[in-house]
Amino acid sequence: MQEQIDVKDIQGIIIRGYSNFPAAEFLLLSIKDAALSKKWLSSILKNITPGNVKPDDVAAHIAFTFSGLKALGLNQNILDSFPIELEDGMTTKHKQFFLGDFGDSDSANWEWGSDNTTPVHILLMLYAKDSATLASAVNAYKKDFDSYNIQEIQSLGTTVLYERKEHFGFHDGIAQPTISGLKRKDSGENCLAAGEFILGYKNEYGQYTPRPGVPAEADQSNLLPAMPQTAMHDLGLNGSYLVFRQLKQDVSLFWKYVASVTKNMDGSVNEEEMIKLSAQMVGRWPNGTPVVLSPDKELADMGDKDDFGYRDSDPNGFKCPVSSHTRRSNPRDSLDVSKPVSLSISKKHRLLRRGRSYGPPLTETLKPIDCLNAAECDDDRGLHFICVNADIGRQFEFVQNGWINNIKFNGLYEEADPLVSNHHNPQDVKKTGSFCVYNNVVRKRMTDIPEFIKVKGGAYFFLPGIKALTFLANF
Amino acid sequence: MTQHGAYSIIVNIREGMQQQLNDLLQQIVDDDVETNTIVPFKKITTIHFARFVMLDKGNDAEGRSVPARLAFTTNFDMPLNNHLKQMVDVAGPGLWRIFAMCEGFPQGDYNPELLETFLATNNKKSETFYVGVGYRSVQQIRNENILRNSINDYIDSNRGALLNQSAIACRKQIIDFVNANPEMQWAKTPEPAASFIWNLMFWGKLIVVLLLFIILIPLIIPFVIIWMLIMLFHEINEKQVPNPVTKDHIRVLVNKETQLVQAQFSALGNLKPGTFRHVTMMFLLRTTDFLAPHLFSKGKLSGIPTVHFARWLVINEGRQMLFLSNYDGNSENYLRDFIHIAAKQLTLMFCHAEGYPKTRLMVFGGAKDAEGFMAWARYRQVITNVWYSANKQVSVKNIYNNGKIRNGLYGSMTEAEAQKWLSII
Repeated sequence: MQEQIDVKDIQGIIIRGYSNFPAAEFLLLSIKDAALSKKWLSSILKNITPGNVKPDDVAAHIAFTFSGLKALGLNQNILDSFPIELEDGMTTKHKQFFLGDFGDSDSANWEWGSDNTTPVHILLMLYAKDSATLASAVNAYKKDFDSYNIQEIQSLGTTVLYERKEHFGFHDGIAQPTISGLKRKDSGENCLAAGEFILGYKNEYGQYTPRPGVPAEADQSNLLPAMPQTAMHDLGLNGSYLVFRQLKQDVSLFWKYVASVTKNMDGSVNEEEMIKLSAQMVGRWPNGTPVVLSPDKELADMGDKDDFGYRDSDPNGFKCPVSSHTRRSNPRDSLDVSKPVSLSISKKHRLLRRGRSYGPPLTETLKPIDCLNAAECDDDRGLHFICVNADIGRQFEFVQNGWINNIKFNGLYEEADPLVSNHHNPQDVKKTGSFCVYNNVVRKRMTDIPEFIKVKGGAYFFLPGIKALTFLANF
Repeated sequence: MTQHGAYSIIVNIREGMQQQLNDLLQQIVDDDVETNTIVPFKKITTIHFARFVMLDKGNDAEGRSVPARLAFTTNFDMPLNNHLKQMVDVAGPGLWRIFAMCEGFPQGDYNPELLETFLATNNKKSETFYVGVGYRSVQQIRNENILRNSINDYIDSNRGALLNQSAIACRKQIIDFVNANPEMQWAKTPEPAASFIWNLMFWGKLIVVLLLFIILIPLIIPFVIIWMLIMLFHEINEKQVPNPVTKDHIRVLVNKETQLVQAQFSALGNLKPGTFRHVTMMFLLRTTDFLAPHLFSKGKLSGIPTVHFARWLVINEGRQMLFLSNYDGNSENYLRDFIHIAAKQLTLMFCHAEGYPKTRLMVFGGAKDAEGFMAWARYRQVITNVWYSANKQVSVKNIYNNGKIRNGLYGSMTEAEAQKWLSII
């Protein structure tokens, strides 16, 4: 039986990405005084947008790091009920290895979220219909911070780029999973059990992902519902976990590299080949057309195409390389097991992406040749990678480690993700990436791929349900 | 053609020596597992994988105490006596120091003969041994990976010339390159295939057993039905033991996973008490051991494509099970593969261990309970003190593909065949 999803108790960011709100800002906050912070939380509870409301002008969401929950004053046994991934965060030695944050992406160099920057406790996400509305909403929050002794660490702006592309010039955010039990309908392969993204519902194993709880006596006023079969009250119900990574993109480097390895014999730029190679690295053409469906050119009506596989038409990656970004971050039916098993494995490692670009585009329309020819500038631009998942270890970290960074992914030898992976693991003497594309006779191998992205900050957050927020403001 | 063996020695640690032994093993790791002076693994060329695991003192399922033990295991190229001799030759004094802290070990000054005898007589046969890398020696795996890398470098630097040629011509050029390379003279001829006698034994044994099985089916079926009913009765009545895994335990385990390509897993579990359980388990483990080379011959353990070697050992008079494996990726990925790909098959082998998620008829339930399985596996996982891998840069799939690349050097090919071969390089 389909579980009824309590949409009004879920933060709306899980339900929708607010594509109708082009303006957004993310505030990273630090708690200085637990009691005052809870008061502040109380005062803003009414602003947090529940899933059943589709606001006309502003939406607000809030999430907490483990240290944030601690700073609010939650006692140890409640804190202990949160998963190890939230507790350990992204910057331990093991996580550095697991997530591939080496070299320039080493957390020692991060602007926020590292051990040597002000601890991030709260993420406040604000979305608005236009920049003026956003500015006034942001200011309304900011003016209160002093009186509640909340420190603003960073205010991360966002940009909506031409035709909803990301900075490299590719249509982004296409392959999103659909949560079963909500209004949107989708194919079975793309329809995921609600428990993959919302705590308190059955996941793809037909089980409940472990979630945090509060001893009944710590919730005297019964702000939280009882957790079935335990003596606990349910702090996790209708909540989730949010992964935030600020990824700086070097757009010039990307296009210069792709142009350099595809240039004509006379040294001139071969625009067509350059774009083709970039598409093979991404797995989709700039407009979103899946490379596996159209290996030679992008098609106008295929930009949002998402119901396709690799196994039958391209088992060896001759059309869309096995190493391409989209084929490895969502392998669909292409893993080296039977087709139904591959599909079911893929479903257990999906992410609900809610990222936004930031910083000015290198060129207005992000046309590859324009990006290539644009004057080089070191503007800070990139992606605030944000995703929502119920099990950080099984979803985000698994994809990042087992698929994106794994040079042996699905039979490969030495190829990590050509677009987003890091090549500075100290065990690997080679400090560049490799990527292979096939043709009729001998494959073309590139072994000198530089890093196009650099991690500048990041943290794991608990994204509570509305009742859980009320508890956090009043316990 | 190389055969692989699983050498295991599991001995009691002498009272009061745990810390000292732990420190000595840690020194191997701190010095560099490949080149340290205690057991310089890299020089023991018959080893694919090796490990030392200290098993803490504990209690079995019925509360009886189990002493602290040291397990030392290798996956080696046969024959065993050659392997043992090489270990003693290369690392004799170091092994002597280690085992001198264990019970039943000859005391006194270093004596290579006594050490070799000790290692040989204490070898514990695995109940089940799985080989994922199929009949390839340590050196062959290394060579074939070098071959693959060299061919790729060659193509990189000659791609312009190769592009305008037929696949057959390209292949010929690659073969010429290999043959002209003084370091790859071994690749001029294929690895010798299995002998007729070997094939006869390999398939003969299977055929005899299958024939017996078919003849006895009328007897086996009622027997199995009754057996399964008794098992069901046991399953219903067995008390489920919790798996109170802590975050700190998981931290210690995953912090040791620092290799780029491969990882290891060691787990120690108490077996459920009772003769019925024990007999059933031994039958299943040994049957799997017998069938494994036939069932899992393509580098896939019940469909899992990442396992180099795995072994199941029943130890301490049948009271505990020790499971050891070497695989590609990380432990989270590996355990998820168990659940996603081979839940039923592995449940059949592991459900005799205490705390395993509840089963019905030994295949239903079990690892289907993903949360329960993960908790059980992590709770029972133990720290591997020392771990060595000889070919740490290759995955199981690489090893198989390298074999195909090498085999493509021999004989003639059609244009289509040559094209296909070029595409796997």
